[in-house]
Amino acid sequence: MMSYLVTIVIFVSIAGLVGLALNLQWGLAGLVNFGVSGFVALGAYMVALTAPHLGWLAATLTAALLCAAVSMALSLLTIRLEENYLAIVTIGFAEIVRILLLNESWLTGGALGIADIPRPFASLTPAGWGDGIILVFALVLVALVYGLMEGLVRSPFGRVLRAVRDDATVAAALGKPVLALRVRAFAVGGAVMGLAGALHAFFMTYIDPSQFTPIITAYAFMAVIAGGRGSNLGLLLGAGSIMLLLEATRFLKDLVPSIDGTQLSAMRLALIGIGIILLLILRPQGLVAEPRRTVRDVFPDATGES
Amino acid sequence: MSPSTRPITRRTVMAGLAALPAAGLLRTPAAAQAADVPLGMVLPFSGATGPYGPDMKKAAELVVQQVNGGGGILGGRKLKLFIEDSESNPTIGVTGTKKLLEVNKVELVGGFWGSPIALASKPIILAANKVQMVSCAANAVTDGDNRGLVWRFQAKSTSWGPAGAKVMASIGAKKVVVLAQQNPFVVAMIEPFKAEMAKLGGSVTDVVMYNPDQPSYRAEVEKAFGSDPEGVFCLSLLTDFASIAKEVYRGGFKSKIVALSIGADAEGKFLQAVGPEVGEGIYHLQPAPPLESPAYKTFVTEMGAPAGTVFLFAGNAHDQICVTALAMEHAKSQDPLVWSKSIPLVCNPPGEEVADVVKGLEMIRAGKKIKFVGAGASCDFDAKGDQINRSFLVQVIKGGKNVTVGVIS
Repeated sequence: MMSYLVTIVIFVSIAGLVGLALNLQWGLAGLVNFGVSGFVALGAYMVALTAPHLGWLAATLTAALLCAAVSMALSLLTIRLEENYLAIVTIGFAEIVRILLLNESWLTGGALGIADIPRPFASLTPAGWGDGIILVFALVLVALVYGLMEGLVRSPFGRVLRAVRDDATVAAALGKPVLALRVRAFAVGGAVMGLAGALHAFFMTYIDPSQFTPIITAYAFMAVIAGGRGSNLGLLLGAGSIMLLLEATRFLKDLVPSIDGTQLSAMRLALIGIGIILLLILRPQGLVAEPRRTVRDVFPDATGES
Repeated sequence: MSPSTRPITRRTVMAGLAALPAAGLLRTPAAAQAADVPLGMVLPFSGATGPYGPDMKKAAELVVQQVNGGGGILGGRKLKLFIEDSESNPTIGVTGTKKLLEVNKVELVGGFWGSPIALASKPIILAANKVQMVSCAANAVTDGDNRGLVWRFQAKSTSWGPAGAKVMASIGAKKVVVLAQQNPFVVAMIEPFKAEMAKLGGSVTDVVMYNPDQPSYRAEVEKAFGSDPEGVFCLSLLTDFASIAKEVYRGGFKSKIVALSIGADAEGKFLQAVGPEVGEGIYHLQPAPPLESPAYKTFVTEMGAPAGTVFLFAGNAHDQICVTALAMEHAKSQDPLVWSKSIPLVCNPPGEEVADVVKGLEMIRAGKKIKFVGAGASCDFDAKGDQINRSFLVQVIKGGKNVTVGVIS
């Protein structure tokens, strides 16, 4: 039982990291990224390829850096396009990554994937505790990223990103470098997605292209919508409840014998759908709404109206 | 703080949602009673391979019923089967496997349609010292040191290729093209196919690969069929092969098609999808269940299917549970490290051939040496855990029906 819960917590952490990244890109900066699965895959493959040679720490950092660089390049590519086109470009990017991973078998093992990815501290861990180490790794990673994101939200960078999201023209008129801000937000988000991919690779120890389907992107958006766009705490709750709902429904058929596997598989996804619809009707702003910030938050002594 | 003033709130809704998993977790450990022998299977019920799950589940449950009806194993203990949906996705397959191992405490994780799912779950099952039985073909599944815990109820990928070449030769196609999906199980077939074609005096002029889940296969079909080869070896699964067959029909190409039955039959689903005109004349092959054996005929009747139905994966699921029960009885233990060693002892000759699992259990208890013959295969294993002596059934679609052409061994 314990180890199953550990598995779930690790998958929640992966979903949480992906969600935090998307929350920065989309929730805070208003940049739609439908290529989430591509960045996660890139991070996972980078780790799988480099960890045996560089060790886990360097491999994880390389994955984050690569994803940041690719994100930056991708957002610069769309410089002259209207921002909604970013969504289309990112979908295309995810497909390109998937097809490259599937076909460049000299590098990625093609459809067979890569097996035996070394885990961090594998030699130091007593037998049977392998998942425990990954759990600690996952929780530390989530805590660090959460701290970083909260810091960003509260910093001047976070404020100006919100301004750019709400009205880019006004922000530009006030002399804010809108393009540079967007590129930076996209790069940081990409790096975090790379970290999520690294965690996925370390936990699974075997990766192949079919693990990185667009469903990852869909779950990330669900988590952000359910949690409350712009709120990192809400995001973690959202990611947690979606993963728990997915897993908890597994137990339905053990408890209610009249449901068989075929019906359950259809029902599980329907239940998630109903959950999201209910949530959007009853709580359109998400589980935890983005904190409304007033002038007083920034200038406690100000007397003006906010 | 009067309750009536509280709005119906998302708090209540969320508390309910949050309580769901907790409620599930609290109840389950009671599900497997101490005396039961819990077994697990990871099967696809949705996604690309979803059509195969229900029959595999039915077949496995059939065996559990028979064994329990016959008094169980290990002195009256009952088998208890837990099944998880893989959604045809390795990540979901891994959480399903974890749940089976940790919550249901299963001794066996069987099923596994699809090599990526089996490969992703393998490290976890081995770490838990349990047995993995798969129904997928990629060679990598049984590669490496598996400590005798991984058993394949399927023909290895590499043995499918030569069988395809023999079909090509028998229908007189010498210059052929391969049209194949980029997938671990299919890719391994291509080189052995080429080698066997060369041996039989033919040649492979081109190999066209495509990615799964494309919206259209027109470009690939035109490339493969455009040079007008005598035959095309189509290594596809159901959804893509249905589109490819329609595309070939539309283009009016005349090359003979040899396909895999998991694409061109899929237990009748291919013909349902494309209709008889499109399917006409397509040859297809698959590792055959022993069609003429009484064991297989009984199995088809028990599944409630018309005589002559060719089940491939359902038979494998049936055999997995049978072999598990027999091996446990033989080893007098449900410890996977012990009973896995009994698998070859109840499956490989010498021994008295037996197909009925209940009868097999009785014979083991009587101290006889048995050789189990399954509904999916004769169930002979080599030292790596791969099934050997699997023959291939070749069929052709004529007038909207699958007609048997012959068996290649």
